[in-house]
Parts: sequence; structure tokens; C-alpha cells
Amino acid sequence: MNDPATFLHAMRFLGAGLAMIGAIGAGAGIGIVSGGAVQAMGRNPDATPTIQTNMILGIAFAEAVAIYCLAVALIIVFAA
Amino acid sequence: MTETTPTRRFGFKRWIVIALILLGIYFGFIAGGIFKPVAPGVVLPGEPIWPGLSWLTNTLLATLLADVVLLWLGWSTISFMRSGKLVPSGVYHIVELLVEFLWNTAESTAGKWARRLLPVFATIFLLVLVANLIRLVPGFESIGYLQSPEAGSSVKGYPIVQILPGVYALDGSQAGQEVPAGTAEPQGLCTTCTLVPFLRGSATDLNFTFALAIVAVLAVEYFGFRALGLGYLTKFFNFGTMINKPVFGVIDAGVGLLELVSEISKIISFAFRLFGNIFAGTLLLAILGALTVAIVPSFLYVLELFVGVIQAYVFGMLTLVFISQAVVGHGGDHDEHAEAPAAH
Repeated sequence: MNDPATFLHAMRFLGAGLAMIGAIGAGAGIGIVSGGAVQAMGRNPDATPTIQTNMILGIAFAEAVAIYCLAVALIIVFAA
Repeated sequence: MTETTPTRRFGFKRWIVIALILLGIYFGFIAGGIFKPVAPGVVLPGEPIWPGLSWLTNTLLATLLADVVLLWLGWSTISFMRSGKLVPSGVYHIVELLVEFLWNTAESTAGKWARRLLPVFATIFLLVLVANLIRLVPGFESIGYLQSPEAGSSVKGYPIVQILPGVYALDGSQAGQEVPAGTAEPQGLCTTCTLVPFLRGSATDLNFTFALAIVAVLAVEYFGFRALGLGYLTKFFNFGTMINKPVFGVIDAGVGLLELVSEISKIISFAFRLFGNIFAGTLLLAILGALTVAIVPSFLYVLELFVGVIQAYVFGMLTLVFISQAVVGHGGDHDEHAEAPAAH
């Protein structure tokens, strides 16, 4: 606490860690998407290619949120 | 019931693998010294491949290498086609597999636009795929020149040892030392060094991913204008419905402006998705490779292969889907669609 530079350094890492909390949502979202896709594929195996394509797209969109968190965390650690 | 030919339980190759694993464990944990991997320094921008050569970064060199691999694939396909042989052989198998897969994907997503969209989709997919796969070749991020770390940065330096005349390595058995501020060493060999690799994965540089993302989004706009003419703009500036439906028209206009914002955020999400996945994968490989010398990195390499292919597929697929959404116009109602440009 006596050294402002070290304190700032520590707070940057803390902030980056806090920013990555947003990845929780993406994790839950990806789980829900793939769970639904697996159920759909189980009910209708013939539709697997279509479902798989849409599942990967859905996962990509859900993951984008986590990627934003990662970008913020990287900016905090390296750029700010 | 069927006669099975007895298979050799212990083939020759698996002994090589086991010997390599044991060697890794021996050098990593017991022998120590120069064979112990050093904890990597995390560097965001691409580094120059030689001190002072700032316009040629190692990520750019890796991208050029990916281009060379793609050109080689294309050239070997052309020479196979010219040879007139009917039985596919060699690398032509891979190209045929890829092209068939790409065509099926494009056709199932874009329908009648598939012929025109395939070049855009296939170019992005192949470039990202090759760039993501060649970064896993041993030698990437591990062969380079030694440089004293920037003073005051958090990157740690390691003492160097000479293993062959003119060949130096970092001594991983010594703990990394932070370089105190203001002790930048003069030119020449440093005593506490970091490694600057000659080659680093292309997608670990934001310039590569942002360039691809901008090209992809510009392609979306281009195909949108090409399919719908100036009517494509009504997707964003949708004031036409405000005249006959005042309340919902305002909502439509707001939604149109939101579309405009989402068009810009597409660039950011494209770029950071690829960058984040590949950069995080690189960090994972490097850090866990330094912590656990044997066995675990092998599984992580399999994961990274998977991630590289999936990210290439996602990048190309999202481009394709965005273009297919752009070319059909909004609402899907043809009467309204024919009316909107006139009102604009």
C-alpha cells in the first residue's frame, strides 16, 4: 500500500480477473446450446448436419461474450 | 468367428513415443538445465524477426508462410489437373476433400448464392485453417534470437548457456529474473535474455484478425448492395414505415440504427473471437508446457488442433451466414420491400 506503482500493478491484475467473471455467462450459454443440440439430434438424427451447423454458430455467438471479457482483461493487463 | 490376423501388440513407433515421454520427464524434472522449458513472456504485439527490422514481424512471416502453403496446395492441384490423370494421388486428396466440404457448406447455407459466395468463404476458411495449423509445428515460438527484456517490463529474463558454437539456449533451471528498471544492456549478448521467436502464430496478432474481419464485413456490405441495390440501406435507415405506421415505424427506425451499430460490432467480435481463442491457446500451451513437461502438452496439442479447425470453420461460416442474411433483404415481405426504396 505504501508503493503506489505496485498497488496499481496489483489492482490491474485484480481488475483483469474480475473482468473475466463475464465468462460465466458464456459458459452457461454454450452448455445450454450444446445440450439443446444434443437433445435435438437424439430426437431426430437425420437433421444432425443442420443442427450441428446452427449449434456451432450459436456457440460462436455465446463465446463472443467471453471473448469481449478476454479483450477487456488483456487491455487492462497489457495496454492500460 | 472370423479369422483375425494376430496383430503385434507392441509396435515399433509406440516405443519411440514412450522413449520421448521418458526423455521429456528426465530432462524436465531430473536433469534440469537447458532442457527445462522456460516460462514464456506474454507479448501482445508481433515482434520484429530481427532487431531493427520493425516492418517484418514474426506474425507477418508466419502469415506469409501460410500463404506459401496455400499456393503450394493450389499449384499441386493445378499440376494434377493438367497431368490428366484420373486417379487422385498425393495432396490432391486433401484439396478434393476440402473443396467438397466447402462447397457443401456453402450450398446448404447460401442456396443459389453459393457459387458467388464460395470464393470469399473458402479464402477466409483456408487461410485461417492453414495459419492455425502451421502454428502448431514444432519450431514456432521456440526458435529465435535472444534479446535482453525491456527494462521495467514484467517479462522475465533467463541466463543463457552455449550448447554448440554459435548456438545458445536459455537456462530454465534458474528462476527467471525481473529486470530492474533502467538497466538496459548494450548491444551484444545479454546475460539475462528472453527469446524472440522467428515465427509466431498469425492469429496471435490483432492486425491479422482485424484485417480479415474488415474484409469479411466489407464483403457482407458489398454483397448486400449487389443483391438489393440502394435498397440495402433501408436495413439501417428504415424511416419508410414511419409514414404509414407511426408507432411501429419509430421502433423500426430504432432497430435499423441498432443494425448499424451491430455491423460495426461484427468487426470487433470477428477479430477478437479468432484472436482470443488462438492467443489463449498459445498461452495455455506455453504455460502448461513449462509447468508439466511431458504427457499433458500432447493432449493440449490435440485440443489446439481442434480449436484451430473450429475457429477457421466459425470464421468462414459466420461470414457466409452474414452475407446470406444481407442478400435476402429485411423483413422478407416482398411488397414492403418493393415499396421501401421508393419511399426512401
